[in-house]
Amino acid sequence: MNHLSDQELMRIVQAGDLSPASEIYDRYSGRIYNFAFRFLKNAEAAEDAVQEVFVKMIKYANQFHGDAKLSTWLFSITANWCRDYLRKADNKSKETEDVLISLPAPLEHGPDRALEQREDELRVQRALQALTPEQREAILLSRYQGLSYAEIAQIAGCSEGAVKTRVFRAMETLKKALTTETRGGDRWLNAVQ
Amino acid sequence: MAECSAMRESFPLLLTESLDARSRELTHQHIESCSECGAEWLATKETWRLMEALPELTPPPRMRQRFLAEIGVEEKPVESNILSFPKRTWARWLSQAAAVVIVAGGSYLYGHRTQPVRLAPQQATLNSIQPVSIAESRVVKSSALSPNIEGRPDIENVQFIDTNPNDDEVSLSFDITQHMTVTGNRSDKSMVQLMAYVMQNEDKAQPSTTRAIDIVKQTYANSHQPEPEIAGAVARVLRNDEHEGVRIKAVDTLKTLPTATSETREALIAALKNDPNPAVRIKAVDALAKIAASGQLDQAAVDTLRQKAMQDDENLYVRTKAAEALKKLNP
Ligand SMILES: [Zn+2]
Repeated sequence: MNHLSDQELMRIVQAGDLSPASEIYDRYSGRIYNFAFRFLKNAEAAEDAVQEVFVKMIKYANQFHGDAKLSTWLFSITANWCRDYLRKADNKSKETEDVLISLPAPLEHGPDRALEQREDELRVQRALQALTPEQREAILLSRYQGLSYAEIAQIAGCSEGAVKTRVFRAMETLKKALTTETRGGDRWLNAVQ
Repeated sequence: MAECSAMRESFPLLLTESLDARSRELTHQHIESCSECGAEWLATKETWRLMEALPELTPPPRMRQRFLAEIGVEEKPVESNILSFPKRTWARWLSQAAAVVIVAGGSYLYGHRTQPVRLAPQQATLNSIQPVSIAESRVVKSSALSPNIEGRPDIENVQFIDTNPNDDEVSLSFDITQHMTVTGNRSDKSMVQLMAYVMQNEDKAQPSTTRAIDIVKQTYANSHQPEPEIAGAVARVLRNDEHEGVRIKAVDTLKTLPTATSETREALIAALKNDPNPAVRIKAVDALAKIAASGQLDQAAVDTLRQKAMQDDENLYVRTKAAEALKKLNP
């Protein structure tokens, strides 16, 4: 089954045979999970997003057109779900505390390196959270998912020009947050030397 | 300055290598000539690099199980070249690459049969087909097909698999300019037409027609729902096929179908009267005797039986059988 294209797998699903569902899940669940997690900063909500996106993919399989990219369609469903989630006011407070996601760095890099990496991760995560949802959506899809502005425009329901502006503004904010602050890792390194 | 901000908006596109050659060139030229934008470019590049600090997360495996459970798909190990899936009505099988498959399920199957029925492709049919690209394969619901098969498309390389004998779901796969699988209820109009068509047209070669008749027999024999199209198609095979093995199978199948149509009776009478092969005539008289026992025989059939019973040069078994059938009619 893994030699079939996304479109071919979807055609099988459209015919009522769900056997390709696991293959499609394996292809895209990681990307969708990462996007939802970084967008919502909430692990539980990200899991729900993935679940709902794939269930919707099955349920509305016939709305998928063979000439579209499956990734674009799935990210559209995901982004919609995430926007809805944020719109529900009380979900804002459910943002997970600043938790470090990454596993400890391999020991050969030494404990100082590991801590530095974790601090960097935390800084990026916080900086992303400071963006507007539109900017965050655009930068996550562009920087981390490698989507083109045309695809992002389709997902966000805006023009390519608007995507360009959103990504640019996001980068401006991130630049301030990431390049001007003193890096905690450096501070720590200085302290122990 | 307006130029500067336009240039800076393009920086992320420069980083993802998404600018066309001309814009890329213009942007680089500006970065080199404008010190402020040069500094901005370096800062943007650095920011982009720092963003790498976000690790890629792996979704917990429980999420996969949750999804597959929700849609009712369980995974099973691959069996030969057919991927089979749990016995849900809508998640059952997948045909692969050049394998073309007829899948039929239904309560008709002989009680002891629990394994998928798989008829290997025959030499005669494989010679004539081109390798089928999977890119051209289609899977469709029979309910989505028109019951009218237009023209006489060449159907080749039919196979039969039953993944679930406990329901009425039936599927057919074959080559018809592309690799195609059709699935649906066995009494679905389009499915019936397709079965009938495949039987009469598939490959036009003896081994494949024999297989097609076998499939039809297994699918519709002893079913409670009469399928006159199927009976008619089998009757036409009995009348027209030049291979005696095929005609014998056709008679056998007509005998097992739940109801006899006039077309069935006429084909059997014609076979009994005119078929050059005694085995076909013996089977035909058997089938007519069975129909006689169920009280569905008309006068023309009775006349033929009488004629056969008294025909001196007829095979003795045929004469005896004809006489027995007449006795059942007038005990
Ligand atoms: Zn400039």
